[in-house]
Amino acid sequence: MATKKPEQFDRVDWSELSESRRFDLSINSIGMLVATLPLALLWLYDYQFVGEREATFQAIGLSRNLDPLDYFFVFTLFLFFFYLILPLYQNPRMTRYYWKEFRRNRPAVVSLGWLGIVFVGGLIGPLLISAPEQSILTGHQPPVFLSIDEANVANCVGEVVNGRCQGTWQHPLGTTRGGKDVFAGIVYGMTISMQIAFITTTIVAAIGITFGTVSAYAGGWVDEVMMRFVDIILSFPTFLMFLLILYIYGAGLGMFILVFSAFAWGGTARYVRSKSLSVSEEEFIKATRISGASTYRVVRKHVVPNVASSIITQLTLLIPGFLLAEAQLAFLGIGDSAVPSWGQLISAGRSDLAFAPWIVLSPGIVLFLTILAFNFIGDALLDALNPEAEAESA
Amino acid sequence: MTEEPLLSVRDLKKHYPIRKGLLNRQVGAARAVDGISFDIAPGETLGLVGESGCGKSTAATSIVRLEEPTGGEVIFNGGGRSGATRNADGTHPNDVTRFDDRELKAFRRDAQMIFQDPSSSFDPRMSVGGAVAEMLQIHGMSDRHRRRAIVEDLLERVGLSPEDYDRYPHEFSGGQKQRIALARALVLNPELIVADEPVSALDVSIQAEILDLIADLQSEFDLSLLFISHDMSVIREICDRVAVMYLGEIVEIGPTDRVFADPQHPYTEALLSAIPTPDPRSTAEGIELTGTVPSPTNPPSGCRFHTRCHRVIQPDDVDLDQSSWRGLLNLRDALAADSVDVDQIRENFRTGTDTGATPDAVKGQIRREFDLEETISSDEMESLLDAALDEALGDDLDAAAATLSERVTTPCEERVPQRTSHEPGHESACHLHERDRSAPPNPADD
Amino acid sequence: MSTRQPLLEVEDLTTTFSTDNGELTAVDGVDFSVDEGETVCIVGESGSGKTVATESVTRIVKEPPGRVRGSVRFKSRDLLEMSEPELREIRGYEIAHIFQNPQEAMNHCYTVGWQIVEALQIHRDVSDEEARAKAIDLMDKVGIANASSRFDDYPHEFSGGQKQRVMIAMALVGDPDLLIADEPTTALDVTVQAQILRLLDDLQEEFDMGILFVTHDLGVVAEIADRIVVMYAGKVMERGDVLDIFERPAHPYTQQLLNCLPEIGGKKGGIPGTLPDPLDPPDGCRFAPRCEHAVDACVTGDQPEEIEVNPGQRASCVHYRPGRDDSVVRDGIPDSTADGEEVSSADD
Ligand code: SF4
Ligand code: SF4
Repeated sequence: MATKKPEQFDRVDWSELSESRRFDLSINSIGMLVATLPLALLWLYDYQFVGEREATFQAIGLSRNLDPLDYFFVFTLFLFFFYLILPLYQNPRMTRYYWKEFRRNRPAVVSLGWLGIVFVGGLIGPLLISAPEQSILTGHQPPVFLSIDEANVANCVGEVVNGRCQGTWQHPLGTTRGGKDVFAGIVYGMTISMQIAFITTTIVAAIGITFGTVSAYAGGWVDEVMMRFVDIILSFPTFLMFLLILYIYGAGLGMFILVFSAFAWGGTARYVRSKSLSVSEEEFIKATRISGASTYRVVRKHVVPNVASSIITQLTLLIPGFLLAEAQLAFLGIGDSAVPSWGQLISAGRSDLAFAPWIVLSPGIVLFLTILAFNFIGDALLDALNPEAEAESA
Repeated sequence: MTEEPLLSVRDLKKHYPIRKGLLNRQVGAARAVDGISFDIAPGETLGLVGESGCGKSTAATSIVRLEEPTGGEVIFNGGGRSGATRNADGTHPNDVTRFDDRELKAFRRDAQMIFQDPSSSFDPRMSVGGAVAEMLQIHGMSDRHRRRAIVEDLLERVGLSPEDYDRYPHEFSGGQKQRIALARALVLNPELIVADEPVSALDVSIQAEILDLIADLQSEFDLSLLFISHDMSVIREICDRVAVMYLGEIVEIGPTDRVFADPQHPYTEALLSAIPTPDPRSTAEGIELTGTVPSPTNPPSGCRFHTRCHRVIQPDDVDLDQSSWRGLLNLRDALAADSVDVDQIRENFRTGTDTGATPDAVKGQIRREFDLEETISSDEMESLLDAALDEALGDDLDAAAATLSERVTTPCEERVPQRTSHEPGHESACHLHERDRSAPPNPADD
Repeated sequence: MSTRQPLLEVEDLTTTFSTDNGELTAVDGVDFSVDEGETVCIVGESGSGKTVATESVTRIVKEPPGRVRGSVRFKSRDLLEMSEPELREIRGYEIAHIFQNPQEAMNHCYTVGWQIVEALQIHRDVSDEEARAKAIDLMDKVGIANASSRFDDYPHEFSGGQKQRVMIAMALVGDPDLLIADEPTTALDVTVQAQILRLLDDLQEEFDMGILFVTHDLGVVAEIADRIVVMYAGKVMERGDVLDIFERPAHPYTQQLLNCLPEIGGKKGGIPGTLPDPLDPPDGCRFAPRCEHAVDACVTGDQPEEIEVNPGQRASCVHYRPGRDDSVVRDGIPDSTADGEEVSSADD
């Protein structure tokens, strides 16, 4: 028995093996579980034991509070890490290949850098910089190197030269009418933007992929009904719906994200469905089926990954829409003014545009660049994530 | 009784329903595979050859149950199932079409498949080693080191290196991918491999390599092979026996050398003569098949090949040269199908020539289009044809068709030919052979 | 045969494509010619550059990223120096193209007849009726049964073989002098392939066309070619009359290629190795990495010059250089007989 070399395929005793049916968890899933557990416990603790108005970490002397949105955000970050970043690390060959392809697109590389800044800024910025605070006296401070007529500021923080108040490093991008630091506002806005980006993407992807693959694989009338439902979703007037909810219940950022992503997955589902149908015609799917794999395994291991890489592009291009929608709502004054988003900042400066344009321009430019970056990256991903197309010409 | 075959296919059918309308009512069926039977012995290679649309690939996927067959039996005696006898109710315990999920999964280890297109036969997002190892994992081998060891060993056996384990499909050439596909098919140690055009997408110089590898592996591991191809020269290379399919049926089956040297069925004959030979000196004119393959939704009655057969049988009291006979049948079918546009022919004469559209000119044109001479050799047929053409010119195609149908009929369209055996194991389904029994052959070719 | 005029003379044709990974040379200094009424086959496997070479003739390769250099003289005019409108006069009229996939070359929104009529009217000022009559005539010529009643059918109502016939009919509208056929039968079944080959043969006689035929299938080559150009990795390996090439192949690549055919060599194992990287071709002979006769001289410098090995037959292999013993490679020739070399090239 022991003398057998089990490393050869024709020496495997299948009767020994085939009955053992253990539930295999990948490292990624284990990691995800391990990471999510404490988060869930913390949430439970927050929800059960910490008072409504108390900060989550008051017990250990921190004044940071976590609201449901934060929990969800962290959760999506875990997902992002374990199912996107980690696999890239686990498959270095493929990663190198993707990167080689991606790198060709210069604007996309720059965009990636910019989004990296926004991401890191959004994550740790709020820990390093204190939230912008109201201080009427130091309102309308100009950004550093710029100046403003003394008459417009109540109290100039920097020097006053020739009747003009000079900007200082204390407020590198100046302040709003209410004296809030614009730079701090932008950093806090990064958090909001990242929250919007990650959470909407997760919701849209989860619903879209599930709906699309189930519809593709169920076929028949189930497929029919599901796709007609998608039609309804797609033709739903999301904006009016949001206004309605806003007037009845009032709405914060969470509600915004929920409503908008709950009506944005229609296109994704459709796309996933048609893509799954075409992927399932491929010979490697047949080869997997012929080996006895269950439909669930085929979908999970082959269809979804192949569909996912192409919908990543689609999702990346969806994010700018959400960011813009939020900014527009905020600008129109319909958003939750307590949320320190870029849109709110822009909206706060719109009346002072004539003499303090930086209040609008700085967050405006940041917003513009971010949206541009997502678009560039979406484009580059479209090319990079498609190894087959490249292989043909090689 | 001799040795038990490894695979025994009996009257296998696969029909695709055609649905129409709001209620998705079934209005017909495309009979892709319509009752085929054959055996494969252990260690043997059977070739399944035919032109596109003949149902050979559907046959393959139905046999391994990638698609559910509509009818028939696929009895697989491998994997320790040998020696089984039929149940009391006539069903067979080894009938793949009746396997439940557990039996089917075990069957998956014993019968594997290779596909045609190397570019789509691997998941572009999975390393090739992973793709091969996945097969082991599916069947319960959870030890990843063991999986890797087995796959690396196997990659070496198919002519690659163990380091290729971590590479991705796009890094390989078509031939290399087909080697990996072989490894994937082998990894579960099957007894039967169904190869669906495994070398058709490859260059000749690579084809020979892969065919060689297949043959080597086959003898090393005593595999049975069902080899599907449209390419007769590939079939000749690798197959022990060959079955020729036309429109969902097997028209001829026999040992490869016999079928190639002495094809019995007219279709096989035409198919073989159509292969271009790499000999610039050969001047042999091939047999030209007219018309196109009919739709499997509504296959011709009797012998399915009768609409194109160059040897289609004449009634006992008719003795025309074969090409006129073929032309008459074609004309009859065209008239019946309403696809002779007399007006258009007239119109052409008006604009195209100066002779004008005299009835004789139009009739002559119709004759030319159907390869019929000015006067055909049988007086009776000639007058019948002339009468029919007159009716056609009078815009009564139905009447013309009816006139022709009175006499222009062939036994081939009336009865389904039975398989007749020429020598042990060499069978074909053609009325010519049934008649050969009683009458000497009548090669009425010009 | 010797009185035939050269119709197409291609010299030093080089086609490059700029890719993200650098300059890819698909066709690298290739010469060939087609005489009036003659069929020349360019034979090669995938990646040999055979298709690009023919597409460069009428410059239907996409430019950029492609770039065609060299000289292509057609009836003593240089096509590569012509302007796009001048070329358009020639394409589809004096030089017609048919492709591997008739499906893709047809417009599925229009009837087949209409497409032929359109092709006719692009080049000739004819009335609708005349065009229609001519189109039906052509459909009849290419062997579409009941041409008149099929005029108004749509492409999807035709089978693959019939579509290829229609493509040929469209190619014939301008009464071309040269027909470039790029693997026209590869996508078809053998019985249909036989029909199409026979048709091309008949039409060549009727229209007195030169045919430049691209294929990988040596069986097809044997059937239709007068002369053969064997390409490998963008270079010409060997050229000569069809009989010479099949009976006395001189170049090791040609020999091995023929050996892969079960009917001829029955050699087991194909040709080991793979095509060289077109972005970075090896020095010396392109075939050296896979050649069983390779010697040191094979891997330096350029592709060996073409050397006349028999009258009208030239091979690009160092073993035929003057002063070298060529018996190594001549020995590899299947069916070669001692007196075979004395036979003068088949004159009729
Ligand atoms: S039965 Fe008749 S039609 Fe069929 S193959 Fe034989 S001769 Fe031809
Ligand atoms: S030149 Fe050298 S490598 Fe090239 S074919 Fe001749 S012997 Fe082979």
